[in-house]
Order: sequence, then structure tokens, then C-alpha cells
Amino acid sequence: MLSWAINFTAAMICIALILNLWRMVQGPSIQDRILALDTMCINSIALIILYGINMGTGLYFEAALLIAMMGFVSTSALCKYLLRGDLIE
Amino acid sequence: MLNDLIWIPLLPLLGTLVPLFASRFSRSACAFLTAGLPALALVLVLQLAPQVFEGETVRQSFGWIPQMGLELAFRLDGLALLFTLLILGIGLLVVLYARYYLSEKDSMGKFYAYLILFMFAMLGVVMSDNLIQLWMFWELTSISSFLLISFWGHKTEARKGARMALTITGAGGLALLAGVLLIGNVVGSYSLHDVLASGDLIREHAAYPVILVLVLLGAFTKSAQFPFHFWLPHAMAAPTPVSAYLHSATMVKAGIFLMARMYPVLSGTELWFLIVSMTGLATLLLGAYVALFKHDLKGLLAYSTVSHLGLITLLLGMGTELAAVAALFHIINHATFKASLFMAAGIIDHESGSRDMRQLNGLWKYMPYTATLAMVAAAAMAGVPLLNGFLSKEMFFAETLHQDSLGSLSWMVPVFATLGGVFSVAYSLRFIHDVFFNGEPINLPKTPHEPPRYMRVPVEILVALCLLVGVLPTFVIGDLLYTASAATLQGAVPEYSLAIWHGFNFPLLMSFIALAGGIAVYVNRKELFQFQAQFPENDPKLVFEAIIQMIHKQITRFMELAENGSLQRYSYMMLSLAMVMMAKPLLDLNATAGHRPQIPVDAISITGAVLLAIGALATVIWNRQRMVALVALSVVGLIVSLMFAKFSAPDLALTQLAVEVVTVILLMLALFFLPQTTPKESSPKRVARDLGIAAVIGGVIGTISYAMMTRPLESISTFFLENSKTGGGGTNVVNVILVDFRGFDTLGEITVLGIAALGIFKLIARMRLYMPASDGDGRPWSKDSHPLMLSVVSQSLLPLALLVSAYIFLRGHNMPGGGFIAGLITSVAIIQQYIAHGVDWIKARMKLDYQLMIGSGITIAALTGLGSWFFDRPFLTSWFDHFHLPLVGEFELASAMLFDLGVYLTVVGATMLILANLGKLTTSERPVLKEHD
Amino acid sequence: MEGLYAFCVGLLTACGIFLALRGRTFPVVVGLTLLSYAVNLFLFASGRLKLNAAAVLGQSEQYSDPLPQALVLTAIVIGFAMTAFVVILAMRARADLGNDHVDGRLPEAPKPRLPRRTGGQ
Repeated sequence: MLSWAINFTAAMICIALILNLWRMVQGPSIQDRILALDTMCINSIALIILYGINMGTGLYFEAALLIAMMGFVSTSALCKYLLRGDLIE
Repeated sequence: MLNDLIWIPLLPLLGTLVPLFASRFSRSACAFLTAGLPALALVLVLQLAPQVFEGETVRQSFGWIPQMGLELAFRLDGLALLFTLLILGIGLLVVLYARYYLSEKDSMGKFYAYLILFMFAMLGVVMSDNLIQLWMFWELTSISSFLLISFWGHKTEARKGARMALTITGAGGLALLAGVLLIGNVVGSYSLHDVLASGDLIREHAAYPVILVLVLLGAFTKSAQFPFHFWLPHAMAAPTPVSAYLHSATMVKAGIFLMARMYPVLSGTELWFLIVSMTGLATLLLGAYVALFKHDLKGLLAYSTVSHLGLITLLLGMGTELAAVAALFHIINHATFKASLFMAAGIIDHESGSRDMRQLNGLWKYMPYTATLAMVAAAAMAGVPLLNGFLSKEMFFAETLHQDSLGSLSWMVPVFATLGGVFSVAYSLRFIHDVFFNGEPINLPKTPHEPPRYMRVPVEILVALCLLVGVLPTFVIGDLLYTASAATLQGAVPEYSLAIWHGFNFPLLMSFIALAGGIAVYVNRKELFQFQAQFPENDPKLVFEAIIQMIHKQITRFMELAENGSLQRYSYMMLSLAMVMMAKPLLDLNATAGHRPQIPVDAISITGAVLLAIGALATVIWNRQRMVALVALSVVGLIVSLMFAKFSAPDLALTQLAVEVVTVILLMLALFFLPQTTPKESSPKRVARDLGIAAVIGGVIGTISYAMMTRPLESISTFFLENSKTGGGGTNVVNVILVDFRGFDTLGEITVLGIAALGIFKLIARMRLYMPASDGDGRPWSKDSHPLMLSVVSQSLLPLALLVSAYIFLRGHNMPGGGFIAGLITSVAIIQQYIAHGVDWIKARMKLDYQLMIGSGITIAALTGLGSWFFDRPFLTSWFDHFHLPLVGEFELASAMLFDLGVYLTVVGATMLILANLGKLTTSERPVLKEHD
Repeated sequence: MEGLYAFCVGLLTACGIFLALRGRTFPVVVGLTLLSYAVNLFLFASGRLKLNAAAVLGQSEQYSDPLPQALVLTAIVIGFAMTAFVVILAMRARADLGNDHVDGRLPEAPKPRLPRRTGGQ
């Protein structure tokens, strides 16, 4: 049951990632692309957690934690750039 | 300890530093202090002299690169003793002389430093017991003489003369190196001891002609033999003490020394006789003839030196043992009279302001004392009886009569030798008569007068030696000459007599012919000068300069072709070369795939690969819209870190994630000051070419990585895996490698990181950039500099992130994490505050000195390493133990943790120093909206 | 999987090199970043690919090679320092020379140095 669920979830996440990529490529505005990148980060978190569950190890969960943090910083920096151009003022 | 041979060259080497420090004292004190260490070296030589006189060869050697036959070896035999005495003795006299010669404007410390450096190099040449070492000192004499000749660098002739001397002697040095390497190949050793013992081996070897020519090229260029003689007259642009030292007694004698040193090995063949004696004869005649026509006092002496060097070479070339003795005798005599003549010429120049013999006349009246000294020395040069020059010249004449290698033409040698003697007498006479008599001085810049008392002392000493040797030869230098001859011949010394009077014989007749002929030539010099004036002036300097200019032009053209300031061209050439070099090993690889079992592909991996590929391609395709390229780049970075996580490298995944963000922020900070778009510039042809190169190299790298990954691996990592827990006290092997096994590398790496950050800090300082007032599409910037939402969320992120960072740091030794990653997380957390709140807000709340942080980080890491010395362990040996505390439970303490703390501080300091300072660039002056109408 | 990995490395290399051959500073920096991804992946792969085998003792039955990982970890950090240096150099060049060319071309005419100017080219 668990392996079935994992496979199904993995497939869904992959589809989601491909769709994110589609948005990233398609745009049309830079905001769309940044949003796509941010969503991609979130899907990556899910993917890593899923991988950990599948392999039965917790070694990679910190990576997920870090993506969550770094994704936020990255997205906010990109947005700040769009708003003000100057990140640190 | 001072009995060691090595101190003889070592003391002058230390002595080069003395004048640099002593130049702040008075000039006399500087000269006195400078002379100290060489004088001590002279004492050492004299102390060893009795041993050498007994026929012993004092040797001392130290291992250098024994695997390559290289050693630091010194020897003191008769030949070396003769030369060390000349080098140190005349060197000390020159130091005294230069004290009065140099003017206030000249930097005395620099001059003395160069002079003593040269002395060191010369001592090294004559005392080397290893051919490679000899060659190194040989080149050092070229370099230090370059410095000395170009001492008056503001004069064009000094620079050109120095360059010419360096080029010729340097090129000869390269030939000598080739010869030395060949000798080493034949003999199997570079040690002079072995080489001197294998003369027959070398002479019978097929490579002998090549070796001989190469070694002689080195000797001839150094000793200014025809056709390489032309550098010596141009080197006269040097200050006169330099000429007195280098161009009479030492530098030019190095070539002669080399021939004498290699005499037992290379001489005794037909080839040796032909090359050496014919070159010597040609040089002797040419030098003596040209010297007569030089109006410049030093020019005359320079050509006379060329001629005398030719004479010595001719003697060595004759190959008889007595000729070799005569050669050594003349080396001593020439050094004494020529050094004193150069010094006298310097005095005349110094006190009258001119060296032109057309102006200098009748100086006898103004400086009778100096004139007497100069006349005695010149008489010695001419070969007048009762002076040293006469003795060696007579030996020379005697030897020319005794050789018969030219068959029926052998009579030509004594005839030409006498002819050389005639001219030699003529120019000596000109030196005496033109300068000191012959009417009154014409248009001299100064009124000549006697020099300072002590400036004359060196000349007096040398002239006294000329007289002493001339009158009492056996008593004064008999022993020295004998041991030097024994060392040169490496065998029995023939019977010879140093008496003044040998009865009426042919050599005496030749001497008288030379004297009479010389006087006759000088008396009739007007006709000769007129005859000579018909020839067009052929200045070798112009030819030489033309060649140099041509080479320079060709090289410039080539450089312009290769180096046009375009990074694209350099990369293109480098990549093309890489492709060519990769081709051969790749073609030799018979199959791409190896036998290692491969991991099956799954759907998630394919999705990742698609994301990565599209992301990378999007970066390329949109590279001209820079912001979009940056977003696409972030996608690639994200997938790369996922790849690290998937293939069992959690540490790398964490590092990559953090660095990724930092890089993107850095690029955005920079992008603010750079154009937002790249204009379309590349021609389609250029794009096609670049695509071609990129595709080929990408394909090759892909192939290589595939071939590598599918082949089994023999790794040294088993050791790390086995010893990580027991030796390093941690279960995360990657971290243990970083902070323990390879801790020294890491220490180097964080140092590099710190230096890079400091370099960037300096580059940022005083950088003035244009700041755009609107974004790439012309929209004005938002007026809200710190959106409330962002500020609030970021503020709450800080403690959370710091907690994560501390957690990652502390567990790093046993679980994925460590100083690098924790440092990056902390940096990101702080940067987020900068972004959300601005520099001023941070400045008021956090007092962080990032430079101090880098410094303390590296210091902590280094001190941790040094700490192990206190326990008599090697640098960076780690220590760990387990402790038990109530409540906390068992925990581990390791010295590696302290090291990791250093890493952490350095990473935080470096990252923040870069980003915060880059960010601060804009805070002082911010463009406002109304500028953009 | 090895083939897919090799494909990714090759593609990243190709993209990186193409961008590094452009004539302006920013694409070159982006190209170098891509190239350093490729190099890091390549170095990492020299320890061979293993699934679920992190080099943390006691966490799995087999371990991947920790040595390339340690090397790549420092390479990533040093790579960042290098990128930063190049970026600052590019900015400094623009500040002092007034352009961001790296193709050896000189700007058409020296532009007057304004304290502020509108964005872009």
C-alpha cells in the first residue's frame, strides 16, 4: 500500500514539476517565472521527503528544510530586485 | 665552524645585505662595513692556503637533489685559490676605490650590493665542484654584471651596453649548459672530481666535438673572444670601478677559468688546438690593432683587454704544459696591471672630466704621482723588462716558437704573436704619451689635479705588485703559480724558470722587436690613422641593435595576433588546444562503456534530467535577457542539488543549496549596476563556431564521464571509512575528511576564501558606478524600500535560521552538516535581514566586523592545528573524547570541532564581507524617480 | 542512470562553454557558473554513483566514496568566491572603463561620466 502511494505521489509531483517548467519557459512575465521557480522548490521538498520515506532514511530531510528556507530567501530576493532593483539598501 | 669551505662564498652573499643597511651611515663607514665580510672571506682563504700549497684539494659538499646528481659542492685547489685571491683581493681594492669614485648622487648602497653580489657569483664559479652548480653561478655573474653595467641606468649607452653584455654572455651560458648536460650524460656525474678523472672517456666519445664547441661557446662569449668580443667595449659604459673589477680581473676571466678548469678534460686534441688557438690569435691581433685607434681611454683599455684575453686563450690552445703555465702567469699579471690601469683611467676621468685622448694632454704637470703609477702599469702592459708583463710575455713568445701543430705554416704563429706585441707596445705608448705629455690639455671641463689620497692606494698596491712580481717572481708568486698549474694540468708540472734573465735568445729578440716596432708604429701613427679613417665605421652595436629591433618587431606582431585583449579569442584557442589534446586518449579508448553494473533509470530521474536540460538551455537561449537567465540558472542549481541528494551526498546537497542562493543574490547585486540586457552582437558565423566548440567539448566531457562512471573504482577511501570513527571520532566521513584527515587542505582553502573576500573588499572600495533609476523596461522603481510584510517575516526567520545553523554545525561531525554549511546558512539568514531592513537598520543592531571574523576564523583553525604540537603530535592531529553530563547525557568533544568553528567563522565573514559591502555601494546615493522623465 | 547523468554533465558543459564565449561580462559569469556545476558533478561522479549510500557510518549497508564529496564540497565554496571575484572585477571594469566588453573591443566613444543615468544600455 505504502509503495503504491509513494509511486502515485511521485508521479503526481513529477507532473507538477513538468508543469512548473512549462510555466517557467512560457512566462510570459518575469513574475510568472519567479512563481514557477518558487513552486518548483516546494515540489522539490516533497520529492526529497518522498525519497527519504521510500529509502527509509532521514538523512535527506535537512536538505528539504534547507530548500524551504533558501527558496524563501531566493524568492524574496528576486521580488525585491523587481521592486527596487537594489537588494541591499 | 668557519673552517668550512662554504663560508668563503657565503660570507660575501651575506655581505650583499650589509651595504643596503650601511648606506644610511657616512660613505666611508658604508665602504668600511661593506669590505668587512669579504675581508673575512679572504682571511679564510689565506688560512686554507697552506693546505692547498701542499697539493691538497679541499672539498666540501652538501646534498641538494641527489636523485638528479645535484649537490652543493665546493672545492679549493690551486686554480681556485689563484682566482679566489684575485677576486677577493682586487674586489676589496675596488671597494676602497669606489668609495671615492662614486659621486653623492649615486646610490652607494645599491652599487656595493651589486658589486658584492657579483663577487659572490664569481667565487661560486671558481669554487664549484659540480658542473651544474658552476653553470648556475656562471649565469649569476651575467645577471649581476648586467646590474652593474646598467648602474647608470639614465644613460642610453649604459642600458644598451648592459643588454648587449647580458644577451651575449647569457646566450653563451645556455650553450654552456647544453655542453655541461652532455658531459654529465657521457660521464654519468656532474661532479667535477669525476669529470676531471674521465678526460679520455670524453675525448674518445662521439659527442666530443659537440661538447667542445658548446663549452667553448660559453667560454668565448664570456671572455670576449672574436667574434663575440664586441660586447666588452660597450660594457665600458659601466662606472670605472666596475670595469676595473669585472673587465680586467674577474668576469672576463671566467671564460679563461672555464677553459683552464676543463683543460685536462677537453684539451690535447687537434680540434681543441685549432679552435682555441686560432680564436685566440685572431682576438689577440684584432684587439691590439683596434685598441690603437680608440680615442676613449677606456675604449683603448677594453680592446687591450680583448687582446690580452686572446693571448691567454692562444696559450691555452697550444696544448703544451708550459703554455698552460704561461697562461696562468699572464692571468695574474694581466689582472694586476689592467685593474690598476682602469683605476688610473677612472682617476683621470674623475679629476679632469674627460676620457678623450684628443683632449687629454700633458697631465704630467697636474698629477705627476698618478701619472707615474699609470706609466709603470702601462709599461707592464707593453712588456717592458723588470715588470711582470715582460715575464709572461716572454714565456708566451717562447711557447709560440715551440709549437708545430700548423705543420709547415707553424712559423706564422710567432710572427703574428710578435705583430700583436708591436701593437701592444704602440697603444701602451699612446696611453702614456698622449695623456701625460704631448702638449697642453684641450678644453677640459675641469682643471685636473691629484685625486684624494686613498683613491690612489689601490692603484699603488697593484703597481707595487707589478714591480714586485717583475723583479722577484719566484719569491712573490712562485708557489701560487706552481699549485695553480698543478691543479690545471691535473698532473706533473713541467720544469719552468721564472728568472728575469734567460740569456740572449729568440724570445728576447722578439720582445725587442716588439718594443722597437711599437715605438716605430707610434711615431708614424698619423699615417696609420689616416689609413684607418678610409674604412667606414662598422659599429657592431648598430648591427646588434638592428637584430634586437627586428626580433622585437616580429614578437610584437605575433603578440598582437595572439593577444588582442579579447577573452573570446583566448578561450577559443585554449579550448581548441584542449580538444586536440583530448583527441588521442579518447581515440585510444576502445569502448565507451565499462563493465560496472549500471543503475536502472526511473521516471523521477528522467523528470529531473528534463528540468535540468530545459533549465540550462533556457539560460543559454535567454542569456540576453539577463534576469530571465538568472531564474533559469536557479532552476539548474536546484536540480543539481537534488542530484547530489539522490546520489548519496547529503553534505553536497546542503552546500549547493546554500551557495546557490548566495550566488543568485550576488549576481542580482551586480546586475543592478550592469546593463539589463545583452545587445545582439555575435555574427551568425561566430555563434555557429561557438556552438560547434561547445557541442564538441560537451560531448567529449559527457563521454568521459560516462566511460569513467561505468568502470570499476579502486579508491583510497577505504582507509577514511575505516578510521573515521576510531581515528577522527566522527561518523560523517565527509566532514571528518574535511576537518581531520585533510584538515591542512581545508586550512589552505579557508585562507584562500578569506584572501578572495579581502581582495573583493579592496576592489569594491572607491568603485563608482552608474545606478539605473528604473528597471530594464523603463518602469520606475517602487517607492517602498522595505515592504512591511517582508520585514516582519524575515525578522522571524533570523532566530529560526540561526537555530538551524547551530544544529547543522553541532551535528556536522556525525551527520550531514558542518562548518561550511552552517556558515553559509548563517550568511543567508543575515543577508535576508539586509534585504528586508537595509544596511542602516542592521548597523544599529548587529555590530559585526567581517574582516575580524575572517581573521579570527583562520587564526582559530591554525591555532587548533598548532595546539597538537603541545602534545608532541604533528600539526593538526585531532583529539576527541566522550563525556557524560547530567541532563544532557553523553556527548562528544573533539578538537576538530574547534577547527570547524574556524571554518564557520571564515565562511560567514567572507560571504558577508563580499555581499554586505557590495550592497552598501548603493546606500550613499540612491537615484530618485524624478530623474527619469 | 549513468548515461543520463553523463548527458546532464555534457549538456551543462556545452551550455557553460557557449556562454563563456560571449562578449560581455554577465553571460560569461553565468557561463562560468554553469561550467562549475558541470565540473562539480563530474568530480563527484569520479566516486561513482550509488543510491542510498551516504558516507555516514551506521546509516546504510554500503557507503559511497567520501573523498570526491569532500573535494567537491570545498570546490563549491571556493567556486562561489571565484564567481564573486569575477563579478566584482566585471563591475570594476565597467566602473573604470565604462563598458562591459570582454571581447577586446573599445567602446565607440568615451561617454561623459554622469553621476546618474537611466538604466540599461
